Amino acid sequence: MKQDRNLARRKFRFVGLAALVLCPLAAHAYAGPGAGFAVLSSFWTLFVAFLYSIYAFFVWPFRQLFRVLRRRKAYGKAQIKRAVILGFDGMDPELTERFITEGRLPNLAKLRDQGTFRKLRTTYPPISPVAWSTFMTGVNPGKHNIYDFLARDLGTYLPFLSSAEIKGPKRSFKIGKYTVPLGGARIKGMRKGIPFWHWLGDAGIFCSVIRVPVTFPPEKFPGVLLSGMCVPDLKGSQGTFCLCTTRMSGDKFREGGVRVPIQRKDSHFASYVPGPEDPLTPGSGTELRVGFEVHRDPAAKRARFEVDSQSFTLKLGEYSEWIPVKFKAGVGFGAHGICRFYLKELSPEVEVYVTPVNIDPGKPDLPISHPVTYSIYLAKLFGPYATLGLAEDTWALNEHVLDDQAFLAQCYANHDDRERMLFDALEKTRQGLCACVFDTTDRVQHMFWRYLEDDHPAAREVPRQQRPEVIQDLYTRMDNLIGRVLKEIEDDTLLMIVSDHGFKSFARCVNLNAWLHQNGYLALKAGKTESGDWFEDVDWSRTRAYTMGLNGLYLNLKGREREGIVDAEDTESLKNELRDKLNGLKDPASGRVGITGVFDCDAVYAGPYVDNAPDLIVGYGDGFRASWDSVMGKVTAQIFEDNLKAWSGDHCIDPRLVPGVLFCNRKIADEKPAIVDVAPTVMKLFGLPLPGHFDGKPWTVAAATQSSLGTIES
Amino acid sequence: MGSLGVNIPALIVLGISVVIGLLMVLVFAYTSDQKAIHVAKDHLKAHLLALRLFQDQIAVVLRAYGRILLATGRYLRLAFKPLLFVIVPLTFLIVQIDRYLGMTPIEAGRPFLVKARVAESVLNDATLLLPQGLETTAPAVHVPAENEIAWRVVALRDGDYLLNLHANSHLFSKSVKVGAGLPRLSPIRLRGRLWERIFVSGEPALAASDVVDAIEVQYPARDIAFAGFEWNWIWLFFVLSLVTGFIFKSVLGIEI
Repeated sequence: MKQDRNLARRKFRFVGLAALVLCPLAAHAYAGPGAGFAVLSSFWTLFVAFLYSIYAFFVWPFRQLFRVLRRRKAYGKAQIKRAVILGFDGMDPELTERFITEGRLPNLAKLRDQGTFRKLRTTYPPISPVAWSTFMTGVNPGKHNIYDFLARDLGTYLPFLSSAEIKGPKRSFKIGKYTVPLGGARIKGMRKGIPFWHWLGDAGIFCSVIRVPVTFPPEKFPGVLLSGMCVPDLKGSQGTFCLCTTRMSGDKFREGGVRVPIQRKDSHFASYVPGPEDPLTPGSGTELRVGFEVHRDPAAKRARFEVDSQSFTLKLGEYSEWIPVKFKAGVGFGAHGICRFYLKELSPEVEVYVTPVNIDPGKPDLPISHPVTYSIYLAKLFGPYATLGLAEDTWALNEHVLDDQAFLAQCYANHDDRERMLFDALEKTRQGLCACVFDTTDRVQHMFWRYLEDDHPAAREVPRQQRPEVIQDLYTRMDNLIGRVLKEIEDDTLLMIVSDHGFKSFARCVNLNAWLHQNGYLALKAGKTESGDWFEDVDWSRTRAYTMGLNGLYLNLKGREREGIVDAEDTESLKNELRDKLNGLKDPASGRVGITGVFDCDAVYAGPYVDNAPDLIVGYGDGFRASWDSVMGKVTAQIFEDNLKAWSGDHCIDPRLVPGVLFCNRKIADEKPAIVDVAPTVMKLFGLPLPGHFDGKPWTVAAATQSSLGTIES
Repeated sequence: MGSLGVNIPALIVLGISVVIGLLMVLVFAYTSDQKAIHVAKDHLKAHLLALRLFQDQIAVVLRAYGRILLATGRYLRLAFKPLLFVIVPLTFLIVQIDRYLGMTPIEAGRPFLVKARVAESVLNDATLLLPQGLETTAPAVHVPAENEIAWRVVALRDGDYLLNLHANSHLFSKSVKVGAGLPRLSPIRLRGRLWERIFVSGEPALAASDVVDAIEVQYPARDIAFAGFEWNWIWLFFVLSLVTGFIFKSVLGIEI
């Protein structure tokens, strides 16, 4: 019956189409601009494709000749046709092993049994931007200049983003109170060193690189790249969410978000999404805004949203798709962003969470890919996607703006987009390098480690039997992804799964600035017993050491810091003194060791940028990390305190405690591989000479021995 | 040109184009799957970008060509769905407008052809009866192969005329407009053939007889001066409605 209907429908369509084509006379066949546009657009598309074909046909021999002349004969000495590197940020070897034993990860088990599974030594400190910079450049941080998310300004003791610097346009002119910018923002990459895909690309080996951290701003090379961690949001921050609410509150979020009032109108509610600073009045603090309306239907537990000219309906507890928003700042000036709305509460109060406004990948106002068209290509193919470096809004969960489920929904939506990009890159890169980093592993472990432990301070109120198996599910998902990737690769493809570091519990906070204060290394202004953010009340004239960021400890060195007091000749003795006192520092509450190692930068780094490194790297023990306050240059009375935030797992500790993972579909002989070895290993496998400045050593990788690994449904 | 030097036909086409451009864009918005069209267009663009991004990889480029063709087909299918809703009314509208703008009336003093398609049995007997103000300038020409008779006629003065064809003791009439302006013109009068009559004739059917099939008056095609060019109205309408449609779609945020 259904087949008959289909047949009839098909016949009807055919007859209809035939009537359209055959019946009307030529002059009458034009049926309005819709049809006209359709025909013209299609013709135009095919015409462009045809023109490009002709161009490509004639240019092809010259491109080949150019390659030969420059001796770029790729793959001549390659042992592999393709390398696929999946970066699972923060995948922990101990958890992996545990879940393999529990039978949750059949594909990783198979990789371990038929190929390689090792712990992968990480960097000092074991922080993602540091470790991934080392991964891509094959050098220690002394040569790539990334030591933390943050670096400090020696003149002001204030932090700045270590990976990139964004400044306004070089030229502008004034008209009254307005400043008209000439040209776009200037972005300067701070990471040094050359990513190994540049060497590969120069040798004629095509590379697709997706969301590897610290690739913003994207650098030019012969391949395609989508920038990852460190891409800012439209406000220029690393992610500022917005909670629009009818609740009156003067409270401010500690970090990562703003509260915006929702106004009650006659029949609806009105609010706005805060955007970047108005480029026509720089320095005034005037922000651009995009207004929106909420028309609620409490009975149906849903609301209709009007944003710009777009309208959509959300149920309670539902996210919108990515909504494009344009922040207008006068004729010809504006910024294109995308954000998602989440209907949090409908009655009696109305609350709407809005994600940080991401740079629109389809209309990027800042370059987020190389070439620029690559981010546009992905947006056209798959629709808008998160471009923010730290796209998963951990702050919103920390601040209880999102609950566990809403946060996970956000994470996995981003993850699904990333998977689509990966499989497209795999299809497009049948030869060469395909590298893709997934952040979900890192974010979910950060936020849900509390459910793995019996007595984590952040989950004491949740009965054990009610704790969801979020991290177990995460690893299972990743294993499933590996299974699907294995289906796409052949015997001459090298598959590597690497993580930049592992994970441990973050149950106790250590305020190192408080310890420095209590032990006479850091002085406060007269009458102060604590200091606000960024050393607000620190007396630099009497301070010998301070800390900011996650693991760095700095001496207040004379001639280096603006108000430095430590003489150069006292540096070594002071460092030794601090190391002796801090190493083995115990938590008085439990007697556990809070700091298991303090490392001298001169011993762990070498290279032209060592001067920018912290003087000491502090390695916290299992269960400990720098306190939230200490990271922000705050001095508190307490040295140790419970970590009550959802952000309950971490890796910014002693690097020896949090190695990453290395899985490979081939046997690797080396017993103690390190993340710094990945770049030289891949280059060697592609038959390229290794640059002399590399710190990593290539591993001995066996040739493909068995047929491709089968996949197992997990 | 009008009496004030205004190009009235051009203004009419412009007005029609604006109104129809807006109406069609609105119809398009409500009858098409806007999201699917947006996605189809985006996919097209993505595959075009793939040609450039992965230009050194022949297999990828060839696949991209294939996908461009597929995506073009998908886009055309989606874009033509609204056509089903508008094609009938718009076709009738265009046919009616064509009566006014497609041709000019006969100019007095300038010869024109009158043709009749008749049955073979009356081919040599049929005669043309002209009213005062019209006269033939040459003997009738018979084309037996096509059962056709042609007369060269000239109008002496402006006016609306009715000429008659006498065949088999019956009279078959046909209107002729001589003069200027924008009268409704019917270039042919047909017997039966409803479908063809709708599209090409503006007169009632000829009397039911099997001797005369059609009587045709060859009006000159009308050229409309616009933007320095002489246009057939349908081409001018095509261009102007596309332009206005483009403006309205942008203003109204409609995906075409």
